Amino acid sequence: MSPKAVLPMDSYRLAQYTVTAPCYVCGGGNNFDAELCRHCFAPMALAHQASSQKIRPKMIAVLGASGAGKTVYLGMLTDMLSREASRLQLLARGAFSISLQQNTVAALARGRFPDKTPCEPDSWHWVHCQLRAPRQRKPLELIMPDMAGEALLEELDHPNSYPVVRAFLAKCSGVMILIDGSQLVEGVKQQDFFAMKMLTYLCDLDDHPKTGWLAKPVCLTFTKADECEACFENPAAYARRSAHGLWQHCQERFRYHEFFAAGVAGNCAYRQPTGKGRLRVPLRVEPRGIVEPFEWLVEQLKRQK
Amino acid sequence: MLSANRSLLENVWRMFGRTPATPLPETETPKPAPRADVGGLVEEMLDQGRYALLLRKQITGSLRATQLDRARQELGTSMAIVPAGDVFLEQPHLDDVDLPVGSGAKLVHIDEVFLDRYPVTNQAFRQFVDAGGYGQEALWDPEVWPGVANFVDTTGQPAPRYWSASRFPEGQANHPVVGVNWFEATAFARWSGKRLPTDPEWVKAASWPVAVNGANPAQRRYPWGDEMLADRANVWDANRGKTTPVDHYEAGRSPGGIYDLCGNAWEWTSTGFGAWDGCQYELDVPMRGLRGGAFDTYFDHQASCQFQSGEVQVARRHNIGFRCALGVCEIVPETIATNAIRQEVA
Repeated sequence: MSPKAVLPMDSYRLAQYTVTAPCYVCGGGNNFDAELCRHCFAPMALAHQASSQKIRPKMIAVLGASGAGKTVYLGMLTDMLSREASRLQLLARGAFSISLQQNTVAALARGRFPDKTPCEPDSWHWVHCQLRAPRQRKPLELIMPDMAGEALLEELDHPNSYPVVRAFLAKCSGVMILIDGSQLVEGVKQQDFFAMKMLTYLCDLDDHPKTGWLAKPVCLTFTKADECEACFENPAAYARRSAHGLWQHCQERFRYHEFFAAGVAGNCAYRQPTGKGRLRVPLRVEPRGIVEPFEWLVEQLKRQK
Repeated sequence: MLSANRSLLENVWRMFGRTPATPLPETETPKPAPRADVGGLVEEMLDQGRYALLLRKQITGSLRATQLDRARQELGTSMAIVPAGDVFLEQPHLDDVDLPVGSGAKLVHIDEVFLDRYPVTNQAFRQFVDAGGYGQEALWDPEVWPGVANFVDTTGQPAPRYWSASRFPEGQANHPVVGVNWFEATAFARWSGKRLPTDPEWVKAASWPVAVNGANPAQRRYPWGDEMLADRANVWDANRGKTTPVDHYEAGRSPGGIYDLCGNAWEWTSTGFGAWDGCQYELDVPMRGLRGGAFDTYFDHQASCQFQSGEVQVARRHNIGFRCALGVCEIVPETIATNAIRQEVA
């Protein structure tokens, strides 16, 4: 092939560079072949996939303090829904959407929890999936990132330090806040305060009574509930007892909120592998209450239509 | 008659290491114990499933041959023998899940033992509850006496956690009893004249090691073979989400004829958790070993014969039950029983 024959193709590529591709999360312009948005580091694949589909994807945020169990929850949820067809059925869109599930399940199967999510947004896992309920014709398109707890805290304390968090939450249709139930049992209130901070942050973002966060679904889930069985028996009553500030806040401000409890490990212990620090490890994996909060959230999203 | 009665009862109580709280009457009185005659007491014990107690060497002398025969029949129906021999024990779930069975394992020898064919059912445990098992100090470890009063059901009655008014949930008579802690399991085992199995005994019964020509024993990953099959055990993929009757998975039996060794409910063993793991766990509270997986066990390998999980002794979980064991050397040899029957016939 002579060099001249290549020229028309290069020209075509140059033409593509003249048109910016907007990021699906922050709306910022990017080159058509960018892998991540240069403004917020969200995968550009989200924008490409969204533009090729008739249904516009909705976004759900899974938030929580560092160590609340966001990665494990999202990883298990996606694995359970892609494995079990009787309830909601999940189909991942794009290879990047399977990485979170893969990492989480591989770690749990080896008797470990997955590694901590790094603070850098370009290392976060994003899940873009199609969700289909039994006897429902129209599927739902969803985007859910696994954001680092430290990054969320930093954004709460110093708004705009993580543009991706702000941009994503501004576009979210619903939110799930994870609260470490085992810490509440021990009387540690950090998780309670984080959840309250997060809720006030959301209200500050958009407090329109009809379209803002006050009217959007907020799902509050106590994680690691296997360590406090009272969570499972009545999550709302447990919230009222153990996280009264949070419970009161939700009662006063959020029209659509619900408390749930979830657990993945039946029991945990600590190990000290050679060359590593003290590791908290699951002694067995028996998911409980993982799908229920998500189902509720999806039902609420349908109501929003 | 009365002396024989007293002798039997005394022997039974000696098994527990102490005499009953109410002293036995010296002379025959119009108001004896509910079943005053030996036959009645023995029949009651057989009806309660306490045949193992009657087969103890200290007791058999007080039994009629027909009673001994019935006790032996009960033993054969309810328990299966696990032959003496060597078994590998390992903890394959940490970083080495793909290694073949037997690598990095400890070889342990066990003596011949009987193991319950089925996990202890709600119906069987109800006998213990109705017989006032929660109130008999002799059955409980002294360390847990102050806590026994807290081992109550949803209505505050002494019973497994998820029962109501000392009654199991309707339609679950044949399901494994769950919501019992290690102490409750041990107390039941003592009451029925048995004990909890050790880890090696449990693993040997499930993995059925076969050693040929002195080589290391080859063991099964699951009681029926090396592959998890959805129709053989009640685990996550069976999609039931709750316990099933203990005899539901006939195809999942071990070669020795023991049901539910994989799935349905975890089973307490008498061994401490982590005993077979080279890498030490740091436990705030000591834990006991669990074996076999449950209906909500997500990963197949965690329901395999070799996988050990652990739980604190006082935990009363929705998916933990138990089964009992009985050392062959602990009961009267069959030949003696047979001789007794022959004598009666003669």
